[in-house]
Formats: sequence, structure tokens, C-alpha cells
Amino acid sequence: MRNPLGWLLLTLFSLLFFAFIYAPLAVIIGYSFNANPINMMIWDGFTLDWYRGLFGFADRTADPNSRALYVESTDQLIAALKNSLIVAAVTTSVSTVLGTATAIALARYRFRLRGFYRGFLLLPMMMPDIVLGIGLLIFFVTLGMKLSLLTIIIGHCTFLTSYVFIIVQARIAGIDPALEEASADLGASEWVTLRKVLLPQLAPGIVGGALLAFVISMDDLVITYFIAGTDSTTLPVFIFGMIRRGVKPEINAIATLLILASVLIAALGLWLRSRKIDK
Amino acid sequence: MARRRDRLVLAALLTPVTLFLGVFFLVPLLTIAVFSFLTPGLYGGVEWAFYHWNYGRIFGWADGIMEVFEPVYLRILGRSLSFAAVTVLLCLILCYPVAFWVSRLPERWRLVFLFLITLPFFSSLIVRLYAWLLILKPSGLLNEMLLGIGLIGAPLEILYTPTAVVLGMVYVMIPFMFLPLFAAVDNLDRSLIEASYDLGATRFQTFRKVILPQTLPGIVGGSVIVFIPSVGNFIVPDVLGGAKGLMAGNLVEQQFLSARNWPFGAALSMLIMSVVLIVLVTFVTRLRPKEG
Repeated sequence: MRNPLGWLLLTLFSLLFFAFIYAPLAVIIGYSFNANPINMMIWDGFTLDWYRGLFGFADRTADPNSRALYVESTDQLIAALKNSLIVAAVTTSVSTVLGTATAIALARYRFRLRGFYRGFLLLPMMMPDIVLGIGLLIFFVTLGMKLSLLTIIIGHCTFLTSYVFIIVQARIAGIDPALEEASADLGASEWVTLRKVLLPQLAPGIVGGALLAFVISMDDLVITYFIAGTDSTTLPVFIFGMIRRGVKPEINAIATLLILASVLIAALGLWLRSRKIDK
Repeated sequence: MARRRDRLVLAALLTPVTLFLGVFFLVPLLTIAVFSFLTPGLYGGVEWAFYHWNYGRIFGWADGIMEVFEPVYLRILGRSLSFAAVTVLLCLILCYPVAFWVSRLPERWRLVFLFLITLPFFSSLIVRLYAWLLILKPSGLLNEMLLGIGLIGAPLEILYTPTAVVLGMVYVMIPFMFLPLFAAVDNLDRSLIEASYDLGATRFQTFRKVILPQTLPGIVGGSVIVFIPSVGNFIVPDVLGGAKGLMAGNLVEQQFLSARNWPFGAALSMLIMSVVLIVLVTFVTRLRPKEG
């Protein structure tokens, strides 16, 4: 850098930028241990009560009003988490298969509609969530389909297929088709070539796409909000509802656990990537 | 014979996705279009009869009996566009210098800071918004701190204002702006910058004539990716915005979940969808040739 003062200012700006990104998360984590039940922004000593309440271990002798709230919301919380995991698992499998198949078709075959498909596959990703959400809502209700986990799964698959497609497509662009041609020349069938030659090379892209799909599905709020039935609430929708009803200290505890989970998932992703580079 | 087998495999690869997206993506979008021209029923349902006053209510022709023209809808739509534009601009101003800084760091630190910027992408959107609710509340952290230092005499009213909405949107959109920008900045040809200086160009000239054109695809890409979800956003204004922070997305949500006027909600979301399609067609088609 030609200008040391300029670099110093830039460094300062950048560090403030990262502080801006992380300060809010630090606030939640810090205050999830705050004992003050009235104003949770005023520090009143360390406590694990909110976590205990979350897992249904709230002190039975405590204020009866607050206890009722904990016990009820614990069951709902666990049900919502279970729903989220089911939706994310099924969605990830379906959209990974659909997205990967499309990426292979577009990269390895020449046909007239190729340009159309390339644009078409990007559309669900670029469509605002709210438009897709209400479109699906009208569609399901007009067909007379009951809103349930199935409708959420269908909704998630529409846009997550696009995400998987993008990631796998980026990977396939860097793979030399010569290996597959050699395999075909040596008499392997299309299926064997696909399974033994192309898919192993594609694996990192597929895993990356699946991981992304899982994370986005777990976090999706807007589309799920419109097409979730009353008994099929997912975790983000449940938390959104809690926040709308008023800010309570347990939300801090849930939020902290979610932040922790996201750090673990991101670290897992990083580790998977570094392992691939080593190979 | 090989050609026929090729076609079979191709059909096997593409049929499932075509059917799935055709039925569950294209048909729902068409349903919105159809519903936006249907008659709203008296008690929340729809009547299958053509009705153009859903749009009339928004744009200024209305029958004056069942539907009344309300300029408020156009105003809210305009507000959504301007909030989204300001969000894009602020994200750009914040991310551009930082992208530069990260690209100049030694390899090790580069990876650390790139990881730090993608981490919020993995953490829950609603949790990150909730944090700002805690910070901006009248009795929240920001006010407690400012009151504590004595910088202000009374709590600031930030929560439930447009400022809070834009702040929240900038906060959740930063990673989407940063990554395309970083990709562009990192690919800068540095020898061109050196050459520009050697030939006597000032810093500003170098930036305008050398750096900006080279990073333009990243700037446009990031802006489009941030603008589109911002226009239709309803979660951020719902959590952080009050009546003055209401956006088009909130209007749509109200029509579907509380007012139960689906045709009118469909008409509103047709407007959001057309804004998005215009932006996409304008910018993405122009960038295409450069990609190859």
C-alpha cells in the first residue's frame, strides 16, 4: 500500500464493520444469562434460569404464572424444532437430487432449450419470498390441499433446487469431460460412467449444495409462514410468533442456542472444504 | 443409436425438475396473476368473475362504491422502492472498502475474515433481527448506554421508525452484498492500477477509470441480489418498523392473513413481482455477455 495512513484508516473502518456485524449477536448471548426478569437490558447477576425453563426444568416452586408459560412453550418449542428438522431433511434430499440432475443435464448435453432452462432454474431463487409464499398458499388452498409439513416441504423444494443447481453447476464447470469420454470409449454405459466417473468428482459440490439447502430450509421464515398449517409450525415461525407476542427472556436463550448451532454448522462446512483440498 | 440413448438420459435427468417446478412454481405464479383479476367475496372468499378494480384501487380508477382509490398504496409501494434503494446504497458504501481491505490481507487473515462474513449467513435471520429489537428499544442497550454517558437526556425513539427498518435490512443483507463485491475486488488486475499511477493519474482518476469499471459486475450483481429481497421484505418492517415503516410486503401479508382480501393482495404482489422482473431483465441481461 502506498499510503500507510490510508491503510490504517481502512483497517479501522473494517474492524468497526466487523464489530457492527457481531455486536448484536454478542448482546443476545450476554443477556441470555441476565437474571433480571423485568428489564432484561439491565444486568442483575448471572443465571441459567432461562435455559432451564427452555428445557422444562423450571423451578416448580417459582412464580406459578411464569411456570405455566415455560411448560407450555417447551412442548411447542420441541415440536417446532422437530418439524424444522423433518422439513429440512426431506427438502435437502429432494432438492439435491433435482438440482444435481439438472446441472448435469445442462453441462453435459447440447439441446435447444438449454438457455431457457438456465434462466428458468434461477427464477425461483430470485423471486421474492413473499410472492412465492402467497402463490403457493393460493395454489394449495384452491386445490383443497390441507396445509401441513408436506406443503412446507414442497414450498422449500421449489427454491432450494435452484440453490443446489447453482452450486453443483459451478463445480461441474471445472471438471474435464475427457474422463467421461474415456469411460464411454472403454465401453461403460451412461449409467456406470455417471456413477463411477462423474458423481465422485462432483461430490464436493453436491455436499456443499446439500449443506446450503439444509441451512436455508432450517432458517426459512417467509414462505413457511404462509404455507404452514396451525399444527405444522417450524422453529423460525415459532420464534417469530414469540417475538410478536412480546419480548421475553427465554427468547434470548433460544437465540443463543441457535447462534451456537449455526457456528457449529459453519465450522463443519469449513472443515469439509479443507478436507477436500487436502485430497 | 447413441443419439437416441443420449436423448433418453437427458429426458430422465430433466423430466422430474420440469414437472416439479412447472406445477409448484409456474402454476402458483400464474394463480397469483389470475386471482388479481377476480372479485373479492364479501366474507373473505373469492368469486370467479373478472374484476379490474383491484388494480383500480391502487392506480386511481375505482368504482367508488365497493372500492375506493387510496393514494396510500402507491405511497407505500414507493416507500418500499426507496427503502430498498437506500439499503443497497448503504450496503455498498459499507462493504466496498472492507472488501478491498480483506483482499489485501495476508492469506491466513483473509480466510479468517471471509469466514467471519459468511458466518451470519448461517445464523438465523429472525435471531439477528431480534437482537436489534433489544438494542433499539426505548429501554434498550443503545439508550441505556447513551443515557449512562450523559450524551442524551431522554431515550431516543429509533425503534418503529424508518431508520430502524433500513438499519435492520442493511444488517441482514450485508453478506449478500459483500461476497459478489469481494469476488470482483479480489480479481482486480493490480498491474493496471500501478500503470495508472505511473502514468500520472491521481487516486480519484485511478479509481474512476480503472478500479470502478473492473469491479462494476460485482457492484451490479451485489446490488441486484440485495435489492430484490428488500423490495418485498415484510419481516424486517414487521419486527422493527411501526406504521411509518410499513412496506409493500406488510400490505400483502395483511390482505392474506388478516383482511382476507386475497384478490387485492394478489394484485399488490403482482406489482412487487413486476418490479423484480424489470430489475432482473434490465441488469442481468446486460451483464450476461461479459460472463462468456
